[in-house]
Amino acid sequence: MTLDWGVVWQHRDALVRATGTTILLTIATMVIALPCGIIVAMLRLYAWKPIRALATAYVELFRNLPLILVVFWAFYVLPILTGLGLSPLATGLTALALNVTAYNAETFRAGINSIRRGQLDAAMALGMSRAQALRRIILPQASRRILPVLASTWVSLFKDTSLVSVMAVTELAYVAMQIRAQTFRVLEMLTAMAAIYWLLGYPQAKLVDWIQRRFAVTE
Amino acid sequence: MDFDFTVITSHARFLGSGIVVTLLLSILSGLSSLAVGFVVALARLYGPRGLKPLVVLYIDSMRAIPVLVVLVWTFFALPIVTGITMPPFWAALIGLTVHLAAYVAEIVRSGVESVRPGQTRAAMALGMSRAQAVRRIVMPQALVRMLPAFGSLLSITIKDTAIASVIAVGELMRQSETLAGQSFQPIEVFSFAMLVYFLMLFPVTRGVDALYRRVAHLGRS
Amino acid sequence: MMSRHKSAQPRIIRYQGVIKRFGDFVALSGVDLDVHTGEVVCLIGPSGSGKSTLLRCTNGLEAIDGGAIEFEGTSLPRDPRPLRAIRQKMGMVFQSFELFPHLTALENVAEGPRTVLGIDRDAAQARASAMLAKVGLADKGANYPSALSGGQQQRVAIARALAMEPDVMLFDEPTSALDPETIGEVLNVMKALAEEGMTMVVVTHEMTFARRVGDWVAVFDAGRIVEEGPPQQIFEAPLTERTRDFLSHLGWSG
Repeated sequence: MTLDWGVVWQHRDALVRATGTTILLTIATMVIALPCGIIVAMLRLYAWKPIRALATAYVELFRNLPLILVVFWAFYVLPILTGLGLSPLATGLTALALNVTAYNAETFRAGINSIRRGQLDAAMALGMSRAQALRRIILPQASRRILPVLASTWVSLFKDTSLVSVMAVTELAYVAMQIRAQTFRVLEMLTAMAAIYWLLGYPQAKLVDWIQRRFAVTE
Repeated sequence: MDFDFTVITSHARFLGSGIVVTLLLSILSGLSSLAVGFVVALARLYGPRGLKPLVVLYIDSMRAIPVLVVLVWTFFALPIVTGITMPPFWAALIGLTVHLAAYVAEIVRSGVESVRPGQTRAAMALGMSRAQAVRRIVMPQALVRMLPAFGSLLSITIKDTAIASVIAVGELMRQSETLAGQSFQPIEVFSFAMLVYFLMLFPVTRGVDALYRRVAHLGRS
Repeated sequence: MMSRHKSAQPRIIRYQGVIKRFGDFVALSGVDLDVHTGEVVCLIGPSGSGKSTLLRCTNGLEAIDGGAIEFEGTSLPRDPRPLRAIRQKMGMVFQSFELFPHLTALENVAEGPRTVLGIDRDAAQARASAMLAKVGLADKGANYPSALSGGQQQRVAIARALAMEPDVMLFDEPTSALDPETIGEVLNVMKALAEEGMTMVVVTHEMTFARRVGDWVAVFDAGRIVEEGPPQQIFEAPLTERTRDFLSHLGWSG
């Protein structure tokens, strides 16, 4: 067995670009899924009953489906249903955003609900509207519990971007496997792929640990 | 747009075998990752000093690397290193076990650490050995706290089996993908797949939510 | 029934046949009570008899299922906006203090004026300082609630309610969660408030306070008022068996 690790170096440009796409995909998904998650959480908590039910159904649906299935569904079914012809990247982004929005909504809802009812009572007894109470009293306290979970969701999202490779989106997993197919250097490319994910993911995981320690809630 | 769900019924066997493989892979990798994870956690908590950094490296690495990458590496690259070729199902089983065991180890560790150290001291003051104290006093209390997290992990395990489709394991995702491509009826086929996965996962997620509520009042013992 | 000292004053709150249900449980089964301006009305009775529920219905934290509550002559609104306006005229103090943990004592007291009344930050903080001084905590403004004792936290909570310049103060068992040593400092603040002429509705187990500071006492049992009257009547010559039972269970010996 002769190994040629030079293959990795030769294709460094493609790999760097692909890594960029992975990072971009992660950031873009969160940029969409954070505000959308807040909106869905608000709908679940405070909207009119039928809307609440819809929001709950949405969250429960995406919590209970494998993401890879959502990716396939977005790729094959969404164009037929909506008539839109989105690029693989946009489709992948849609699938990821739908999924992460649901998780974020749950995170925000749980975080807000974890704040004692008395705090809301005290704020409203002063004459605050619900919106004011949320903004000035509940959310600042809930953010301590919400932030660590969001950080954890971020890292999961980063790893999940690898799933859109099944739709030939040129992120890291897809590109690395393409190079493997072209060069037949299986062990080298797959190990390099794992190593790059590790190099990016490990510090993120450690950062999440730090955030969880820093924001640990002691009641 | 009209839907023709006969594509599902006429391929019932094909899809059914996918469901069986999904269940089999979920249960087997769940059990094996539990076993391996427990051992790893015990090694970290009570094993020799030198082992601890290696275990931590393993656990943190699994948090950093996607499941897809682990499965692909196990199926394509491991045979090159070991010289042993293995069928996709076994590669998936090994890959999932290695990945999930890290999470099991973390759950066990935090479960055990959530039991007040005073409990161990009290047990040993009664004359128990450390092993007895862990087995009879610490573990039972820790297990209750671990249950919701394990439930969560079961849900994740079932979802991760779908990723095994990438290495050609004939579980439900793979079968659906194949059938959808052949029949040109992705809506019907994927809807069916979504329904099945939802029916499998919903009770687990519900159960976990209920467990978390039950355990919430425990806090630190 | 003995005479009511301040009944010549205008009626500020009127409860008429107030009913409140929680599912199958009837918390209030027809409560009639008047509160006059400047009165200190104490609500006493066993746990679960509906006293706190009545208080929470007064500022609309709970909606009533029957009867009516009038405040300053008008029925309590159900719409959020007018209800909020009414709440600004009522100050509420909770058993669990409910200070906002992410704000300092000064910021807690200034929060109402700033956010609800729209007063600018400096003016709000000046008002807050004055209120903290009034409750004897002028030097604790920069402390967070976690650094304050229970009695201090409750006094900050009183200052927070007072900063809104309410027409009536509602106290929901203000000292029940306090250590015995700190109960006195809170009761003293409440006594001083009463002497200034503040209208107060107080749910309490502190019988000595009710006896000495209260103008009118209502005894609750199982969702209704079984007896009401001036403290001398309730504590020295109660008219009903229920009242006598309740007081004897508390070990009240006059």
